[in-house]
Amino acid sequence: MKHRFVSIGVPLLAALLMVWALALAPAASAAGTPPKPVGSVPSSVGQSVSWGQGSVTVLYYAGTSPVVPAACELSINGDKVPVAQATDSSYANGRQLQFSFAADYQPPKGNLKLHAVLVTKSGEHVTYDWTYNNPGAAKPELLDWPTIRQFWWYIAKGGALTVELTVISICFAVVFALFGALGRLSRTMSFKEAWDKYRSWGFMALHTLRMIPYWIATFYTSLFRGTPLLLQIFVIYYAIPAIIDYMHARYSWFNIPYPSAFVSGCAALSLNYGAYLTEVFRAGIQAVPKGQTEAAWALGLSGGQTQRRIVLPQAFKIVIPAVGNDFIALIKDTSLVSTITVNELLHRAQLVGGRTLQFLSALLVAAAVYWILTIFFSFWQARLERRMEHDRARA
Amino acid sequence: MSQTMPAPAAHGGSDEVLVEVKGLHKSFGQLHVLKGVDFVVHRGEVVVLLGPSGSGKSTLLRCINSLEEAQQGTIRVGDVTVECGHWGRTYEKSVHGVRLQCGMVFQDFNLFPHKSVTENVVEAPLLVKGMKKDAAAKRARELLEQVGLSDRAEYYPSQISGGQKQRVAIARALAMDPKLMLFDEPTSALDPELIGEVLLVMKDLADAGMTMIVVTHEMGFARDVASRCIFMDEGVFVEEDSPENLFFHPRHERTKSFLRHILPKEGDNVERVAGGAPLGMGDEAPQEMK
Repeated sequence: MKHRFVSIGVPLLAALLMVWALALAPAASAAGTPPKPVGSVPSSVGQSVSWGQGSVTVLYYAGTSPVVPAACELSINGDKVPVAQATDSSYANGRQLQFSFAADYQPPKGNLKLHAVLVTKSGEHVTYDWTYNNPGAAKPELLDWPTIRQFWWYIAKGGALTVELTVISICFAVVFALFGALGRLSRTMSFKEAWDKYRSWGFMALHTLRMIPYWIATFYTSLFRGTPLLLQIFVIYYAIPAIIDYMHARYSWFNIPYPSAFVSGCAALSLNYGAYLTEVFRAGIQAVPKGQTEAAWALGLSGGQTQRRIVLPQAFKIVIPAVGNDFIALIKDTSLVSTITVNELLHRAQLVGGRTLQFLSALLVAAAVYWILTIFFSFWQARLERRMEHDRARA
Repeated sequence: MSQTMPAPAAHGGSDEVLVEVKGLHKSFGQLHVLKGVDFVVHRGEVVVLLGPSGSGKSTLLRCINSLEEAQQGTIRVGDVTVECGHWGRTYEKSVHGVRLQCGMVFQDFNLFPHKSVTENVVEAPLLVKGMKKDAAAKRARELLEQVGLSDRAEYYPSQISGGQKQRVAIARALAMDPKLMLFDEPTSALDPELIGEVLLVMKDLADAGMTMIVVTHEMGFARDVASRCIFMDEGVFVEEDSPENLFFHPRHERTKSFLRHILPKEGDNVERVAGGAPLGMGDEAPQEMK
């Protein structure tokens, strides 16, 4: 995709670079006219002076005698500036002296006359005079409309990936949930009941085998409902490459690529929602009257046929509202995979926020897109439910 | 379905024993519901099971096609024998074999609500017998005609009345061409005015020579259609006789007290019509009871 302005893998670094560049550039240009050094040593010519947030920096060429920062002074329009701290350090091929204003000092606005006196160890005074037009602190805006206008479409396009994640995950989740529910319901009796029924070790062995799906399903739902989704996302994202590495070490014929962040995210969301939907499906299947199963058995249908043709179609109708509910919840939970660099809605909003420093504007755009998506799908779900209601009344 | 029937024997059916139940024991936990039931049904017989609630008649019926698993005893239907208390491939095959020969009609119909009337009827032939769609549909049309529901073929169960639902259930059971029909209180969930149409279908079925085991409280039906009535109480057969003898000359005290409760008393106006014939106890019953 051309419009992803950074590739997955270095976006945060790129964002940081951009923020740095943007933050530095205006400060340098706001330096005003280069100062004229007055006096002899130290140094030759003052290079430039920058006006930072709460500080003024004087760049100069070092002379034979070093500057004593504590003795240096700065005045604006003839008034001495309360300096909390003056720091002298090397800068490029010269040096810089930074005057940090006291915490309660607010420099006046407008055209300022600046006057700096640098004092060297040998007692020389070097003065710099220059002017600077201080625009003052900008009035803070709640929303930055230029940012929104520039980036809203870029953020909104992340919604496509959100929908993609949601739809793929819910499909897999439904499959997991179906098998999970059948596994959960495959337990017909306890070990004690099984023993009391036939008092046969052979039957106990068979019963143990038959319990395996139940155990697997129980373990699955317990694990994935018992740990946070965010943690599952991280673990799967890091665990799958680790497992692949581990397999490589043993089986050299094995050569599958590491899953992308998208695939890992899908896997985590599917497994987590599959676990929740397992319980939904289990309840749905149990809500189908026992008489339906008995009627099917009495007609000679096998267990599998009974489930496929009689029980599950009725159970699906029962669980549609609950699945729709989880679908809406899943749309929002896809935002968690932004943490593993999937470039979806929230991730894009965070990138834009990081680049423009307008986090609020960017995140509100993302919030609006999420909201529109959920409204759209709720509407769609309500329609589906109405149709099913109609069907149920008919059936 | 055996349309041709040999000359009726004393028990009202042929000499061929279709169902043979031996020493059937069934308990739900501590509750011993069937206490060693022995029981034979001949081909073409209509057996009515009577008894107070909790006497085990429904359980016996459900044990015959293994909807309930009995702990002990054998159940033979046709040439398939289920050894109760066993398990494994052979046991499951025998259960399936019995179920293929038994049609069952439930008290609360248990029609499949997501399928139309026709789909309900063709479901089992398509899935279990592997019948061709056309053949199954043709058979379904015949059966719906037989139960008088040709015009409801495309309706869904929620769109038809209770009596019609039960007739569909009968057609659905008949679609598997069972040798034996089990009726578990088929009219108990119906409005009084809908009972007649179901009993009529059952009577036609009996007249056509179907072997039937019926649990019912419809004494009129029992008297008119049954070849044999069995009175059950507390998990055993108390008395077993022709309907006339059982109703009007009961030998056991328990039977007598049960019939006193269930049969209409003098002056009761029981008019339940099936096939145009009055199926109520009519006028002679109260006199006989005295």
